[in-house]
Amino acid sequence: MVKLLKLAFRRLFRKGEHTATRIISLTAGLAFGLLLLSEVLYNYSFDSFYPDTNRIYVVHENFRRDKSLDKMDSSPRVSGAIAPGLKADVPGIEAATRLNNIGSSVFYTEDKKSYQAQFSLADENLFDVLPVPLISGNPKEILKSPMACMVSSKIAEEIGGDVTGKVIEIKRYPGKKITIAGVFAELPENTNYKYDILISMVSTGQFFSWDGSTNWLGNDRYYAAVKLSPGVSPESLAPAVRQMQVKHQEIERIEQQQGGMVLKYSFIPIRKLYSDGVKDMIIILTTIAFAVLFVSFMNYILLTLSALIKRAKSSAIHKTCGAEAKNLQLLILSETVLLFLISLVGALLLILILRPVAEVQLGHKLISVFNAHVLWPLFFLIILLVILTSYLPGRFFSRIPVATAFRDYQQKKNKWKLVLLSFQFVGASFILTILVIVSMQYNSLITADHGYRTKGVYFGATGGMEASKISVLLNELRAVPEIEKVGLGHGLPIEGAAGNNIHSDDGEKELFNIADFYFIDENYLSILDIPVFEGDSFSQQNSVVNDLLISKRGAEKLKVFNGWKNVVGKQVDISEHGKSTIRGVFPDFIVNTITNPNSRPSVFYYYPAEKFEQVRAERSSFPFYVLIKTNETSEAGMLKKITEIFNRFLPYQDAVVKSLEMEQKASYQSEHGFRNAMMAGNAIILIITVIGLLGYTSNEAARRRKELAIRRISGATLSDILRVFILDLEFIAVPAVLLGLAGAWLTVSKWMQNFATKIPLHWGIFMVCSLFILLLVALIAAYNYTRTANRNPVEALRYE
Amino acid sequence: MIYLTNIDKYYDSKFQRTFVLKAVNLEVKEGEFLSIMGPSGSGKSTLLNIIGLLDAPSAGEYSLYDKSVLDLKEKAKVEYHRNFIGFIFQAYHLIEEMTVYENIETPLIYKGVKGRDRQAMVADLLDRFNMVAKKDLFPQQLSGGQQQLVGIARAIIGKPKLLLADEPTGNLHTTQGEMIMEVLRELNNEGMTIIQVTHNEKFAEYGKRIIRLEDGIIRKDVIKASPQPSPMEREKESKVMMVESGEPNVRIV
Repeated sequence: MVKLLKLAFRRLFRKGEHTATRIISLTAGLAFGLLLLSEVLYNYSFDSFYPDTNRIYVVHENFRRDKSLDKMDSSPRVSGAIAPGLKADVPGIEAATRLNNIGSSVFYTEDKKSYQAQFSLADENLFDVLPVPLISGNPKEILKSPMACMVSSKIAEEIGGDVTGKVIEIKRYPGKKITIAGVFAELPENTNYKYDILISMVSTGQFFSWDGSTNWLGNDRYYAAVKLSPGVSPESLAPAVRQMQVKHQEIERIEQQQGGMVLKYSFIPIRKLYSDGVKDMIIILTTIAFAVLFVSFMNYILLTLSALIKRAKSSAIHKTCGAEAKNLQLLILSETVLLFLISLVGALLLILILRPVAEVQLGHKLISVFNAHVLWPLFFLIILLVILTSYLPGRFFSRIPVATAFRDYQQKKNKWKLVLLSFQFVGASFILTILVIVSMQYNSLITADHGYRTKGVYFGATGGMEASKISVLLNELRAVPEIEKVGLGHGLPIEGAAGNNIHSDDGEKELFNIADFYFIDENYLSILDIPVFEGDSFSQQNSVVNDLLISKRGAEKLKVFNGWKNVVGKQVDISEHGKSTIRGVFPDFIVNTITNPNSRPSVFYYYPAEKFEQVRAERSSFPFYVLIKTNETSEAGMLKKITEIFNRFLPYQDAVVKSLEMEQKASYQSEHGFRNAMMAGNAIILIITVIGLLGYTSNEAARRRKELAIRRISGATLSDILRVFILDLEFIAVPAVLLGLAGAWLTVSKWMQNFATKIPLHWGIFMVCSLFILLLVALIAAYNYTRTANRNPVEALRYE
Repeated sequence: MIYLTNIDKYYDSKFQRTFVLKAVNLEVKEGEFLSIMGPSGSGKSTLLNIIGLLDAPSAGEYSLYDKSVLDLKEKAKVEYHRNFIGFIFQAYHLIEEMTVYENIETPLIYKGVKGRDRQAMVADLLDRFNMVAKKDLFPQQLSGGQQQLVGIARAIIGKPKLLLADEPTGNLHTTQGEMIMEVLRELNNEGMTIIQVTHNEKFAEYGKRIIRLEDGIIRKDVIKASPQPSPMEREKESKVMMVESGEPNVRIV
């Protein structure tokens, strides 16, 4: 094989064998195809790094409120007592743990340095179920001790020195001192539940107004994971789980009271948790990756076969030296291996160059895909591709008849070339159409009316700010001439909202779940341009603390459930809040994103600015934002200006102020990434198709130069000749393009299922895309055939 | 060794059949040096290709070493090419991306000869053809005569019993042509059966037997009773001369 590779290397520099073109085509195809496939495989590698990962399951809560709903809501979050309960009551569960996410936050060390980390509360059993290598400390002890924590090796490195015994303070929770007692190895990126700092579960009360870590029902925000004993199937646990529910949740009584309600727990393999959530995306990415690879390889085969025709004599020489078919196939295989190796190196270099762009699009570091679950399948795929790609040319090369080869071997039929070329047309029209539709859908998303204003709106978190400084900050902001309005609010529509339940009048039944945005002041809705069309918006004069505004969808539901004609002025009982009076109704807006909309009705509670300050004074971790509306003409420099004002009121001058418009755009990052992936794929496929077309038409022009010359001598004009030759090509391009369009239609139809609002799949889009490809084919063919047809016919005939 | 009986080679088109060879009968015995002559298109190369199992006749019988080789499978043909038949071509047909050494070595690789043995065999031939200094050169760096010497070395390295040469001097000037013919004669004297196709009367004379083809038919088959030694040959050692004087194994068809 080494000898053959040496020969293949020497062949690289021979003219007329399209070597450079073949390498470019393969490099582009491999770079893009492998990048996409590695992303697909990466999605399947989540949490595969845990030992015994196949025995680890994440507990899901499956819930149906009543019989009218045919589908159960499923969530990977459960109440705090479920995980320890499963361990105690369900035989077959070897270990169970629960985690409670605090979120990403800045934290400070005693030397006043600040760092960013993802925080989570965890119980002492965490490392029994989800172990990562330990560097120092005993998690069993640390995660049982109040206000003790463990940090990742990355955080420990950032802090520097021996971190054990150091005290940290989370910005959002000023005054809550946590002592570092251990260090664990940093978690890989491919995990469903990411954390940098683990705080003991017994510290929950320090960070939440209410400790639900031992709750059997409600407060379902705990990520619970269990490790089953070897040989135990999750299905077999159902009866014991039900028994646990009967014993601790009194589930039978609740079911009886809430007729038709179902609450069940299921166990989803931790390795499937992530990939199950992105199934559609995986299918589409895989389709596109294979489309690009397919087109690239068809082009490679087309160019290789064309080059082999010129090498027919070489095949005959080897045969006269005693070569068998398999020897010749091996020869071609060695050439393919070498070209693949070069292209693979080229592809890796290309990926390396484009790494910053790729990492932004993919949302993770490229180094994260370097794990066995990604690399091995890719390695075998490449081997398979090398064998498949070399098989057809090898077979062709070994079958060239010796006697003919020594005379003047010319491929008489070119149907196989047209077939290979048509594959490229299929790929080109397929991906171009998808790109156009994805781009249109993306544009419709970012320009869609979400039901609230984003332009000129900024927001800044107040975490870490003293209560007494809030009103001063608001006054300073109001004093800025470019700022129109300043308000306060607990949350933002793009962030989604927590859930609470509206109870029936008698308090016996939960009527429906709402997206609870908690508290806002009287300026919040006007900053976001959310009108109140029934009743009154909040105002200092007419509203009192805990007054309620409800969205139209919620008001309609209340009318149906309670038989009300009007909701304004009525009192409702909402979990966590108690009874409140509805002051008005506002139109529903997009909660979260259009791709991941939250269809629950939403509610806002009223707090005047003084109340925000008061609660902050009582509870320093009480989170809320300051919303700022600026004049539309004064966008430039506003972010910096507002941030500087915020910094004056923060002890560490680490204000985080953002533009709502930019944040909304950023929330469509995955769609943006998908659109960009399409663009890159489209560019690559078009380049490969153009290369293939140029190669094909050049070969055809050379093969048929005598015919072209005779036609010219017989009086045909250039346009006559071009018409005949281009029509020949379009004859195969039209059905190929139609096939590509059909594939694109199927793929985008599937993709569009992810969106609540979709652009219409108008036939005009498909028409324009197909015309573009057909025109491209005609132009390239015209260019190459014109060159040959314009040659002196006598010269062409003499040459022949 | 070679028996061709009523060999036809023709191509059918829509309304007519074009014969390249017609009713060719030919027997070649081991150790012969046969020159095939004839004008262009007379079927010389086609006949050589059929003898070399590179092409199949349209009709007739062909047996090689008393075995019919008409319906041989590809694998069996390969065995003949590896062990019995060597080819020399007018255009040398050296593999351009291989050095002189590698070109000569190629048939041995296909034959499965081990590395060390291959090395010794190639070295012997390079020495014999005075090409040791050129072993690492590529074909395009050699003169026509040198390329043909490499072609011959490659053809004979597998020690074939039959050497088929299709106009081996066609691209060479006279001196180089004579040198190549001397090599062929020497090989024949060593016992190798040689069949050459040539246009050149002078070089045809190197053969012990000459057949003339016209329009696919053997018109003449002449056995030379006592071939005259060439001037170069006279200088050769007497040992070689002894081997050369044998009975000609020829029969007129």
